[in-house]
Amino acid sequence: MRGLRGAARLQFQIVRADRGYLNEILANPFFAIIFLGIVRAAGRRDLTAYAVVAPVLITLWGMALEISGDIVDSDRGVGILEGVVATPVGFPTVVSGRVLAVTLLSGVAIVETWLVARIGFGVDITVHHPWALLATVVVTGLAAAGTAVIMAGVFVLARTAKTFQNSLNYPIFLLAGVIVPLSFLPGWLRPVGRMLFLSWSADLLRESLAPAAMVDVIPRLGIVLALGAAGLVVGRAVMHVVLTRVRILGTLSFE
Amino acid sequence: MEADDLGRVFEVKKRPTVVALSGVSLRVAPGEVHGLLGPNGAGKTTLVKILSTVLLPSTGAARVTGHDVVAETAAVRPVIGIVIGGDRGLYGRLTARQNLAYWAALYRLAPAEGRERSEALLARVGLADRGDDRVQSYSRGMRQRLHLARGLINDPRVLFLDEPSTGMDPVAAREFRAIVRELAAEGRTVFLTTHDMAEAEAVCDRVTLIDRGRVLATESPTALSRLASRNERIECAGADDGVLQRVGTLAGVERVTVSADSARIHLETEAAVGEVMRWLVAAGVTSVRVTRPSLEEVYLDMVGDRGMGI
Repeated sequence: MRGLRGAARLQFQIVRADRGYLNEILANPFFAIIFLGIVRAAGRRDLTAYAVVAPVLITLWGMALEISGDIVDSDRGVGILEGVVATPVGFPTVVSGRVLAVTLLSGVAIVETWLVARIGFGVDITVHHPWALLATVVVTGLAAAGTAVIMAGVFVLARTAKTFQNSLNYPIFLLAGVIVPLSFLPGWLRPVGRMLFLSWSADLLRESLAPAAMVDVIPRLGIVLALGAAGLVVGRAVMHVVLTRVRILGTLSFE
Repeated sequence: MEADDLGRVFEVKKRPTVVALSGVSLRVAPGEVHGLLGPNGAGKTTLVKILSTVLLPSTGAARVTGHDVVAETAAVRPVIGIVIGGDRGLYGRLTARQNLAYWAALYRLAPAEGRERSEALLARVGLADRGDDRVQSYSRGMRQRLHLARGLINDPRVLFLDEPSTGMDPVAAREFRAIVRELAAEGRTVFLTTHDMAEAEAVCDRVTLIDRGRVLATESPTALSRLASRNERIECAGADDGVLQRVGTLAGVERVTVSADSARIHLETEAAVGEVMRWLVAAGVTSVRVTRPSLEEVYLDMVGDRGMGI
């Protein structure tokens, strides 16, 4: 836990020192405008919850993806990656801690989106189940931190993370039903979407905005956590294989 | 620390295979300051990276504090400190204290213990007053000192230093050598690579000369001097040409080399030392001393002077 906390603290300090890490949060209001505008233009007020939740999850996942790639690229670039790998805590824990920090920061996107809806569109977003919303944001952050280890493992193997980062954004949003409802996808794709924690998170966040009573909240939060934990387990295995590979190839640093 | 028949090959597609290390065997005793000396591309950094678990060897085995660096990394990593990459390896936008706090966490130090060690190390490397400044505002020498502090944050039993004083000014380099001697006095094993012969002579108990991935010799700096030249040399100043010509004819004198303000008399046998010294003093030459080759001369003798070539 000390390593995890240390890595999270480091990421907070890095974000404070370099505001460039907040780009995703700065871009969130524009996504909110786009989605809320589409819903209004289509006359589908019933999809407002989708338009509100999508930019929040896009920000959260975008930051997780950005940081997991950046940790690899920038730490490798300045010669830190080798030192981190040679510490007892190890690289997977560092990735999880640093991604957890930024995904928790991305909770700001909820406030941003609420303000855009209120001020820009005159739509009052009422959070009918605030505790469910808060719990979902926290477990989604944890799940993203676990899953990020898989991505970081892939990024370590690549010479640059950017290509992979770009290709892992919108396909995931579509598959997980973040942008459009999962029910709009072909039947054979829906189970794939259900394998992604974001699809469960998206459902929980939308329902937390609706007045209807939420059912099975804890089991579904458990599924989000379980998928994140599975991501962590797979990520650690991937990272072990990848780090062994780069220790053989000698490509932990590019000098 | 020991290495047995270590080999390391780098294979890159469409390029010739590079043999970075071949049959390297070494023993470094606890508390020893061991220098690894060699030209660029000799394999020094590769060896340090293998011993510090960053790289895997292609062949052979190595153990640090009795633990295999391939199979027992979990036992090796907590007890080693590494300073690789000169002034790199730090977060420039963060302060020295923030950097050290992070590395302390990666060695699972409790926050209070981490802070305590950070303060002690910042004081030790002379950066206590600049600890809250961003590292990017530091000079290269300051960053190297902070890097050394980073390598010591976990109180390691074995410290790997890869060309740690490159770029330091003479005063900082002298301070650095003093710190290395202190570390050895505390019982730590220090394994350092360097190009700096004076540094190796000043701080190393033993030195390994390495070239093209192979160990040429491992000895104390003094013993290495003997390896390069079994015979004594006499250096003198103030002797005129006539005196030096006559010295060259004495029994046991191999040759005399003359530079701007001094001369060096190379002897064939140690027995000739007394006779030549007596003769020089009798001739009125009072600035006389017996010398052995410096480590730099040994290095050039064994590695060869290949100019800018690798």
